Amino acid sequence: MNAFPLLSTLIFLPLLGALATVLLSRSPALCRAAALGTALAELLLAACAIPLAADPGTILAENAAWIPSFGIRYALAMDGLSGLLVLMTAFLGVLAVLTSFKEITKRPGAYYAFLLAVETSACGVFLAKDLFLFYLFWEVQLVPMFFLIGVWGHEDRRKAALKFFLFSIAGGMLMLLAVIGAWLAQPEGARTFSLAALMAAPAAPHVQNWLFAAFFLAFAVKMPIVPVHTWLPDAHTQAPTAGSVILAGVLLKTGAYGLIRLAFPLFPDAAALSVPLLFVLGLAGLYHASLCALAQTDAKRLVAYSSVAHMALIVIGVAAWNAVSLSGAMLQMINHALTTGGLFIMIGMLSRRSGSRELASFGGVWKRSPVLGAFFLFFCMASAGLPGLNNFVSELLTLVGTWTGHPGVAAAAFAGAVLTLTYVLKLAQGTLFGTPAATQPEQWPDAEPLELCVLSPLAASILYLGFAPQAVLDMLRGPVSDFLPRIPQLFQ
Amino acid sequence: MTAVAEGWTPILPYAILAGGALAVFLAASLTKGRPSRVFAPISLLCALGAGLAALCAAPQAGIFAGTLDAGPFARFYQILTCGLTAGAILLLGGYSRRRGFERDELYALTLLAALGMCLLTAAVDWVILFLGLEMLSISLYVIIAAHKDAPQAAEAALKYFVLGAVASSFLLFGIALVYAATGETGVAESLRDAAQHGMEGIALLGFSCILVGLGFKISLAPFHLWTPDVYQGAPAPVTAFLSTGSKVAVFAALLRMALSESPLFARMDPVLWTLAALTMTAAPLGAMTQPSVKRMLAYSSAGHMGYLFMALLAAPIAGPGPIMFYSAVYGIMDMGAFGALSTLSPLDRDADDIMDFRGMGFDRPYAAGALALCLLTLAGLPPTAGFTGKFFLFESALSAGYVWLAVIGVISAIISVYYYLRVLAAMYMRAPEWAPARESAPGSYAVLALACAGALALGLLPAPVLSVMAASAPFTP
Repeated sequence: MNAFPLLSTLIFLPLLGALATVLLSRSPALCRAAALGTALAELLLAACAIPLAADPGTILAENAAWIPSFGIRYALAMDGLSGLLVLMTAFLGVLAVLTSFKEITKRPGAYYAFLLAVETSACGVFLAKDLFLFYLFWEVQLVPMFFLIGVWGHEDRRKAALKFFLFSIAGGMLMLLAVIGAWLAQPEGARTFSLAALMAAPAAPHVQNWLFAAFFLAFAVKMPIVPVHTWLPDAHTQAPTAGSVILAGVLLKTGAYGLIRLAFPLFPDAAALSVPLLFVLGLAGLYHASLCALAQTDAKRLVAYSSVAHMALIVIGVAAWNAVSLSGAMLQMINHALTTGGLFIMIGMLSRRSGSRELASFGGVWKRSPVLGAFFLFFCMASAGLPGLNNFVSELLTLVGTWTGHPGVAAAAFAGAVLTLTYVLKLAQGTLFGTPAATQPEQWPDAEPLELCVLSPLAASILYLGFAPQAVLDMLRGPVSDFLPRIPQLFQ
Repeated sequence: MTAVAEGWTPILPYAILAGGALAVFLAASLTKGRPSRVFAPISLLCALGAGLAALCAAPQAGIFAGTLDAGPFARFYQILTCGLTAGAILLLGGYSRRRGFERDELYALTLLAALGMCLLTAAVDWVILFLGLEMLSISLYVIIAAHKDAPQAAEAALKYFVLGAVASSFLLFGIALVYAATGETGVAESLRDAAQHGMEGIALLGFSCILVGLGFKISLAPFHLWTPDVYQGAPAPVTAFLSTGSKVAVFAALLRMALSESPLFARMDPVLWTLAALTMTAAPLGAMTQPSVKRMLAYSSAGHMGYLFMALLAAPIAGPGPIMFYSAVYGIMDMGAFGALSTLSPLDRDADDIMDFRGMGFDRPYAAGALALCLLTLAGLPPTAGFTGKFFLFESALSAGYVWLAVIGVISAIISVYYYLRVLAAMYMRAPEWAPARESAPGSYAVLALACAGALALGLLPAPVLSVMAASAPFTP
C-alpha cells in the first residue's frame, strides 16, 4: 500500500482532462492544449511508475472496500506487464492527441473528452485486480469508442460504430454471466471477486469449460480472433486516425491482456483443453487475414487485416504457454501497437494530402515527399519483421517458443509470415513507388514539424525495441514466471 | 402523546395524498375551474410530503387491523413511488401548461393514482390490493386522456381502459377463487395455506387468474401488446408516470406474493419460467424494428419487466434485495428517458419518430445528454445503475439455479442494446433536420438532473442503498 494513490491517479487523470476539454469546448485551441497537457502528464506519470513496477521489492497496489455485501473491492495493482501496457497507452494517447490537431475540426471538446476517456478505461482494465472492477472498465471502453467512430469517422461511420458496439457487447454480456458464475463457484460465505483468490481456487473442471468459453468469446471479439473479427476492418476503416491508433494500439491489447491475465489463469483446466483450438484459430486467423489483406484496395483496411494477422500470432504464443513464447506474445502486444499505430498515422497523413484512402490514389509518395516516404517504408519494414526492428524480436521469440513444444504449428506460422511480407510489400509498392496517381492534388507538402513530432518518437521506440529489447523483457520476466505455473497441465 | 403519534404516523402518507387530491379540487373550485398555476405546487408538495412521511415513520408490523403493512418493504416502495409521482408532476407542470390542459383533475388524479400505488405496495389483504390497483388504474385511464386536443391520447385511454377492465376482472375472479379455496383474505396466508384445504386446484386456478391480471398491468408477454399503443398515445409525462410508478407498485405486490413461501409458486414454476422467457424474448424482438421511440421504450419497459420477473422466480431463494434495487433503478431510468422525451418534444406533438431526434445531441446538449445517459442505463452499461442492477438480477437468477433463464435474459439484453444505440446514433451521428423549440422548463430539467444523478450514484456507489435493503430484508410479507 502506498501513500500516494499513483494507480488511481493514472486511471482518473485522463478523465479529469476529459472534463476539462468539455468545459473548454468553446475554444478549440484551449481544448487541444488541455488534451495535450493531460496526455503528457499521464505519460510522465506512467514513466515514473515504470521503475516502481519493474522493481520486485516494491508492490504497487491499492485496495479498498467498495460493495462489501458482494465482496467487491476497488483493487488495483501494477506489475511489469500492466506497467508496460499503461505506458504504451499513455504514449499512444499523446500521439493520438497530436495527430488529431489537424484532422479534427468538428466539436473538438467532446472529441478529446472521448479520446481521454478511452485512456481511462484502458488503464483501468490493465490495472484492475478485482474481477468486477475489471469487467466494469472492460465494458466502459465501448461507449467513448462508439462515439469516436460514429461521430468523427468517415462516410460509413454509423454502421461501423454500431457493428463494433454490438460485437463487443455480445461477448461482454455473456462474460458478465461467467463473472457471476465464477463468483458463485466459490464456497458460500467466502465469495470474492479478488483475482488472486479466484486463481488460487479454480472452479470445478466442468464449470470451468463454460466460464472459459464465455471469457474467451469476449476476449476473442476484442482481439480479434477469426471468425469474430469482422467488425474490425469496418471499425478501423471508418474511424478517424487517432481512433484507429487507439483501437489497434490499446483496445485490441485489452483483449490479449484479458486472455493472458484472466482467461488462462482463472480456468486452468479449460485453458489446457482449449490449446488445440487456439492453435487452429490462430493459424486460421494468420492465413485468412493475410490473404484478405492482400486483396484490399483501401490502405486502411489493408492495415486493419494485417492487425488481425499480427494478433493471431499472439494467440499462438499464448497457447504454446512457455516462458519464451509468452514473453514473445507480450512483447508483440507492444510492438504491434507501435508499428500498426505508425502505419495508421501515416495513412492518415497521406490520405489527408491525397483526399482518399484508396491505394490507387497514392503512388510516387517517395518522390513527392521523401521524408514521409522514408518513415512509411520504415514502419512497413517494422511490420514485415525486418531484423533490427521491433516486430522481428517478438515474432522470433513467439515462434521459437512455440517450436519447442509444437514444431508443426511453429512451422505453419512461420510460413504465414511470408504472406505478411507479401502484403506489406504491396502496401509499400502501391504507396511509395510508381508514378503519382492523376487524382493527386498539386499541393503535396513534405512532413510538417507537427507530423515529425508524432513520427520521430514512434520510429525511435521501434528502433529501441528492435535493438535493445532486454530492458522490456526483464520487466516481463516477473509476470511470465508468475503466470506459467498457474496451468500445471501445460507447464513442464 | 407518543401513543397517538405512533398511531397516526403510518397512515400519514395515505392521508397526505388523499388530502392533496381534495386540496387540488378545492383550489379548482376557488379559481372557478380556470387553468391555474397553484395545482402543480400543491400536488408536488403533497407527493414529496407523502414520501417524506413514509421515510420518517417508524417501522410497524401492520396497521388497520393488519390489512396494511407498515414495515420497511412497504415503506421502501412508498418512498420510491412518491418520488416517481413527484417527478411526473414536475414534468407534467410545464408540459401541460404550454399545451393548455393544466387542469385540476390531472393533478388530483395523479395524486389519487399515487395513493393507489401506496396501497398496492402495502396491501397484505386481497381486498386492499384490489382497491389499490383499481384506484391506480381508474385514475390512469383519465390522466391518459387528459390532453383533450390529442385524439391519439383518447384512443390510448380507451384501449387501456377496455383491456385494463378485462385484466381487473381476471384479478377479481382470481382473488375470489383463492378465497373460495382457502377462506382467507390475507395475501400471504391464503397463498401459503392453499394446499391445506384440499382445494389446491381451485387455488391454482385462482392464482393463475391473478397472474393474468397483474401480468397485464406490468406487460408480461403475452399480455404486453397494449403497451406500445398506450405509451405512444399518451402524453410523454403521463407515459413516464405510467411506465414507472404503476409498474413498480404492481411489482411490489407481486414480490410480496413471491415471498409468501406459497406452494403455489413451486407448482407454477414452469409457467412462470415460460412467462419470463417469453417476455424477455418478445420484448426486444418487438422493439427492434420500431421507428417510433415511444413504442421502442414501451417494448423495452416490457423487457425490463421480464428481467425483474426472472429475478422474481429466484426471490424465494435469493431474497428480495436485487428486485427492490432494480425497481428503483428501473423507475429512475424510465422516468429520465420519458422525461427527456417530453422535454425534447415540440408543442404540437411528442418527439417520437427516430428521425425527430436527428442532431439533437449537439443541438440540445442537456436534454439529449440526459436521454443518452438514460438509454445507456437502460442498456445496462457500466458505470450506470442499469449495469449494477442487472448484475444483481442475474446474480440472483444464477444463484437460484435459473441458468437458462439468465442466458435468455443476457441474449435479450444484447439485442436490446441495438435499439438503444439506434437512438444514440440518430442523436449524435446525423445532421439535424429541424430546430426544435427551446423553452425554459426548469421542472423538467430538475427531473432529468435528478435521474442522471441517481443513475450514476446507484451505479457507482450501490453499497449504502444495498445495506439499507439488507436491513429491511427480514420482514413478514
